[in-house]
Amino acid sequence: MRVTKSISGLTAIAFILASCGGGTNSTTPVAVSPPPTSPPTRAFTVPAQESLSVADVQQVMAQAITEARARNMPATIAVTDRVGNVLGVFVMVGANRSLSIPNAPGGATFNNDLQGLSLQAPAATASDTGAGPSAAGAIAKAVTGAYLSSGGNAFSTRTASQIVQQNFPPSPNAVGLESGPLYGVQFSQLPCSDLSQRFGGPAMIGPKRSPLGLSADAGGFPLYKNGVLVGGVGVMGDGVYDFDTNILDVESKDEEFIALAATANFLPPAGITANFITVDGTSLRYSDATASGFRGAAAPAFSTLAGTVGNLVAVTGYNAATIVAGSAYGSENSGIRASTTTEFANPDAFILTNGSGTNRFPVRAATDGAVTAQPITAAESRALLEEAFLIMTRARAQIRRPLDSRAQVTISVVDTYGSVLGVVRSPDAPIFGTDVSLQKARTAAFFTNANASSELLANPTPRIADMMRTARIFFNDPNAFTGRVAFTNRAIGNIARPFFPDGEQERPPGAFSPSIQGFSPFSVGIQSTLITENIVQNVLFILGASTTDTPQRCTRSPDVIPGQNRLQNGIQIFPGGEPIYRGNVLVGGIGVSGDGIDQDDMIGFLGANNAGLRLGANSVGNAPFAVRSDNVRVPVTGRDPVRLRYVGCPFAPFLDTAEQNVCQGR
Amino acid sequence: MAIDLSFLPTFAALSIESATMRKHRFDDITHEATLTSILSASELELSGIRETEGGETDPAEVIIEASAAETILPFPIGTSGADITASNLIGFPEGTAARIPIEVAVADTRQATQLAVPLITALASATAPTDEAVGGSNDATLPDAFVPSFPPGTVPESGVQTPDVIVAPGISAEGALLDGRRRPGDEKVLPDPVTQTNIGAVRPPPPSAFPGDPEFPIPDRFRLASNLGLARKEKFLDPYNQNTFKGDKPVCIPTDEEVARRAAAGESKCRTPKFLGLKGDDWFFVLTGVSDTIVEPRTFPIPVSVQTTERPRSNDVFGKSQSLVLAQTFLFGAALIKGQTAYKPPDVEYRALLAFNINYVNVPERRVLSVKPSKESNRFDYFLGVQELFYDVHWRNVSDRYDFDSFRFGIQPFQQDFRGFLFNDNQLGVRLFGIRDNNRFQYNLAAFWRLEKDTNSGLNAVTMRPRDDYVIAANVYRQDFPVVGLTSQVSVTLNINREKRQLEVDDNGFPVRPALLGTTRGRNYDVTYLGYSVDGRIGRVNLTATSYAALGTDRNSFFTDQKAKIRSFFFAAEPSIDINYLRIRLAALYASGDSKPFDNVEGGFDAIFENPIFAGADTSYFIRQTIPFAGGGRAVAINGRNGILNSLRSSKEQGQSNFNNPGTMLLGVGVDADITPKFRLTGNVNHLWFENTATLQALRVEGSIPKSIGYDISAAAIFRPSAIQNVVFRLSGAVLQSGKGFRDLFASAQRQKRFYSVLFNATASF
Repeated sequence: MRVTKSISGLTAIAFILASCGGGTNSTTPVAVSPPPTSPPTRAFTVPAQESLSVADVQQVMAQAITEARARNMPATIAVTDRVGNVLGVFVMVGANRSLSIPNAPGGATFNNDLQGLSLQAPAATASDTGAGPSAAGAIAKAVTGAYLSSGGNAFSTRTASQIVQQNFPPSPNAVGLESGPLYGVQFSQLPCSDLSQRFGGPAMIGPKRSPLGLSADAGGFPLYKNGVLVGGVGVMGDGVYDFDTNILDVESKDEEFIALAATANFLPPAGITANFITVDGTSLRYSDATASGFRGAAAPAFSTLAGTVGNLVAVTGYNAATIVAGSAYGSENSGIRASTTTEFANPDAFILTNGSGTNRFPVRAATDGAVTAQPITAAESRALLEEAFLIMTRARAQIRRPLDSRAQVTISVVDTYGSVLGVVRSPDAPIFGTDVSLQKARTAAFFTNANASSELLANPTPRIADMMRTARIFFNDPNAFTGRVAFTNRAIGNIARPFFPDGEQERPPGAFSPSIQGFSPFSVGIQSTLITENIVQNVLFILGASTTDTPQRCTRSPDVIPGQNRLQNGIQIFPGGEPIYRGNVLVGGIGVSGDGIDQDDMIGFLGANNAGLRLGANSVGNAPFAVRSDNVRVPVTGRDPVRLRYVGCPFAPFLDTAEQNVCQGR
Repeated sequence: MAIDLSFLPTFAALSIESATMRKHRFDDITHEATLTSILSASELELSGIRETEGGETDPAEVIIEASAAETILPFPIGTSGADITASNLIGFPEGTAARIPIEVAVADTRQATQLAVPLITALASATAPTDEAVGGSNDATLPDAFVPSFPPGTVPESGVQTPDVIVAPGISAEGALLDGRRRPGDEKVLPDPVTQTNIGAVRPPPPSAFPGDPEFPIPDRFRLASNLGLARKEKFLDPYNQNTFKGDKPVCIPTDEEVARRAAAGESKCRTPKFLGLKGDDWFFVLTGVSDTIVEPRTFPIPVSVQTTERPRSNDVFGKSQSLVLAQTFLFGAALIKGQTAYKPPDVEYRALLAFNINYVNVPERRVLSVKPSKESNRFDYFLGVQELFYDVHWRNVSDRYDFDSFRFGIQPFQQDFRGFLFNDNQLGVRLFGIRDNNRFQYNLAAFWRLEKDTNSGLNAVTMRPRDDYVIAANVYRQDFPVVGLTSQVSVTLNINREKRQLEVDDNGFPVRPALLGTTRGRNYDVTYLGYSVDGRIGRVNLTATSYAALGTDRNSFFTDQKAKIRSFFFAAEPSIDINYLRIRLAALYASGDSKPFDNVEGGFDAIFENPIFAGADTSYFIRQTIPFAGGGRAVAINGRNGILNSLRSSKEQGQSNFNNPGTMLLGVGVDADITPKFRLTGNVNHLWFENTATLQALRVEGSIPKSIGYDISAAAIFRPSAIQNVVFRLSGAVLQSGKGFRDLFASAQRQKRFYSVLFNATASF
């Protein structure tokens, strides 16, 4: 059954959503505690606890509305805080509230997953400004701006578009080159994620989920206040939710101008926008829109706009049609805070908290003792996280300014069940890496597991089983994915690309990917197919077509223990996750996300390596050489067999030494 | 006692001049050297040099102040130098003062001194004709400038035990000159122009004035040698003796008359094709054939493929570093030239040169030779390129000395400066060039439309559309300016690039235009290079130096997507000195780097198409090898092959110039040793730096990259078994001892700090 078919019937459904008059200019004071003073031994500067006030959110919205009016493009505008709380959604009168996703490049006959999805807005109400599917798009864009950015980098949805396509950068002159470094990141922060929080949960804790994952459609930017990342703004105006296939041209997109105008007075510090950051020498794109192209005049007070040009709207599962103040990142209220010494030894570490002072993912022993002879102990979990944290502390950041900043990431460790054995992060690591690091850890642990093949074949989504069968042919191995090969995220990513090997034109796709005719960032193969139903369930819930939200555990992968599967926030298909072994036995996985993919790889890989060295014989560590994926030689018609890379560590990786090739021989 | 003084070279030189000639030539300035006193055999005192007409005497040049009265002359005033022999002087007592007017061929007091000295020496010798004086203390009085020596094998007839070489104090045997040789000195002033007037001369009578004589036996001078029996019979494969296919003799013209003559004489047919329509008896045909073989094992930092690796356990950026290049190039050329080339510039020239290149490269990692990671890591390729194809027409002569103006149309070699730093290529263009003032002034005015190059051979790909890149070059050369022996060149070069809308992917699948740097958007640029270069010598020091300012506009800096000014500078100099068979060279080069990548000024110097012959050229590691800019730009190299500039281009051959680069600095020393005429050894030690690593830092997102590239140490042996240029073998080896900056940027799986380059090159040419 194609998921899109189940959706198509929705387009005619009329929805009635209460339109709530916004404009209450309540300025709820937000408790901003002073930044904790860092002892001199600390390696990282903790971001000051800044947050968006209600007035700030109103100002952002007013600025967007003004530009949208000047452009005659009534729009849906969403603002979130840094941890993804939706602070308000405003729909302008006359806004195109639909959301349509482009067909596969090969046309509708190739559509899979979210491709070709066309979501129409509910029928007009008296005010004509109820939330439509565009609200989901706007929220996803705002979340993307907030989550991909940090105090060292400001990334937009256009940046996201640049790093998730089949070639990097997506442009005619990069044809034949490898895929974007964050290929697949759009399917993170999923509405079904068991890590991500939901609206209505305790306090304002994050990271919150995104209805559509991360967005590649221009019109989403981060918001900064006093130089500190405080949130994001997303704008949907044209009803089309797509991506930029050619980075070389300069798109003039109203949505992007409107969103960029919204960031006025909330601009990132000079020199940290994506265009100052290069990946393999190619600079990232922050915006094709520029301030010189603004048409709107100075924004009037929000109170003069709300109720006249549009209204704040409720978005089921995300916001209740009121503007709320954002949480201050780093505070208990934000769900992410500095760890206490009992929680984690390294004083620089941040952890996820439940809003009441309790670590959501305390470092613990494995839960898979039933199937694993010697499961990961709490001490081993701790050693893995600590050693990886140490590598991160030494590592040079790839995506942060100023140059020679330290890498900042989130590190997750799981057991073979996918149960979280601990999550730690540096103070200013981008939020997206929280969910992604867990996805990566689970992905590596899952595909290395002896049961991967059987669980994929048993997945109720038919195309998943199809892909597993394809994989057997692809590897020319009927026993593919039965635990004999250690797969990292990089290796899985290699076979989840529309060309195999990655980027090589006119080659057939990898086993877990659609062909290039079928590929778009909305259908990337096994990753998106696993969770498409979850996204659809959530969208239907938002639109009122369904009263049941998607469960807080992604995928329909078979349960390993009652109520738990191994992939509860989806999988990830870009590098940064490694399986954890004890000797020749898989015991778990480690996932890292937040900086360059090579840095992510190195932090997990060397972290596991060093934990093993620290703990001595018969402890945890990386997979034995003999079982690593780079021993696999995938047959390629007419060419030399292709190995699946295991990890790829960065050049000049450390700030404290000039060492190179630091993962060599490990 | 008679002493033969003819071994005194300058004295002899002077005596050759006849009095009349001297007077004729140097009427205006006469120098006098005065011997004021001969105090003793060992104490010779030269009083002074002064100009008798015009100009003041430079006090610095005066050796001893004039003092004693001019009393006795041993011979009358006006006696020619040729007439002064020691015998003239015998019998004059000590203390005799002499005044010898010497008319010399220079307006330079120092030279006058030099000329005067032998005379005075002669006097001195004559007045103290003792054996001791000759070989002993008398020498102590010789000025440094005077270094007589015997021609090899000659012994003074007197039988006096004279050393083979008379060596002045402070001058080693090495420093001594052989008879008849001159060592270039520091000549500040040129001799006056030679104008011959032969008053009363009459023309030789025409041949017809001798009716009795036989007719000229041969139609042209080219056959003179063979008619006299001095030339061997022509062989096609022998380029050393007269060969019609090497342009030594004019080709036959198949006129009816000639055909008939040949038939009658039983000679071979005239095979010159008729359709060429050649007329006249001064068409020459030149064939060229060259075989160039290269065997080049090397190591360089090679990144492993991002997508897949050649071997398991390749966990990092850098893989193995060994690589091998084999290349064979055959050049075939033909030229048809009208005009008696040895005697005057040709009137017309048609020339074609084709190059067929076969190359094989083996590297240890994937996606180095091809963008496709599934392809094996070796590559075989071949290409036929058109390196020359031009028509040259001699427009006009403008003086009796064949000062001329000439046009050349088509694919032609062009080198903008003496060492090929800026533009040294065979390109499609039109060029007006010529000389003036008896070749002391030369000029070029040229416009080129740059041809696309084949990726793997670097040869001109004429079947591809030429690039939207134009070069307009103008230069003038002036010999002996600003000092004698030095040629100055002033040049203006415009490079107009309009490749903004082009997407060019090379034969291996890597994008070359625009380069994958920064925003990767296409760009146009206009650069004007203002250049000043010199080449030649100052005194004994050879000097070549080049400087450029590159000024212009990059319409889209890849860092900012904004228009940026280009403001970059270049300077290189190579002073050298020849000591016997050694040439010792120093090399210094500065090419500015960009200091602020994100501003609107691009300060990195890049050339149009460099092929520098400098600091060891392709013997040197860094000039020869290309270093991929791993991590900082895909399909981008730090420097080009046979290039010295760290220009971060996608390709030297196919890429655009890039002024957002780290610049280059080099200091080096080198030696060329001509051990024998057949064997030359060369050694170079260079140290290289980036001028400013800001661009590298921005592209790698890596601060604090040190500047030092490292020491580049190379040696080459050139062997010419027949002492000719037609068969040359060269074996060179170079090591890059990497510096901090290089190690910060690059490494290899073997973790070596040294990278090597070996180049074996065999050239055979016809």
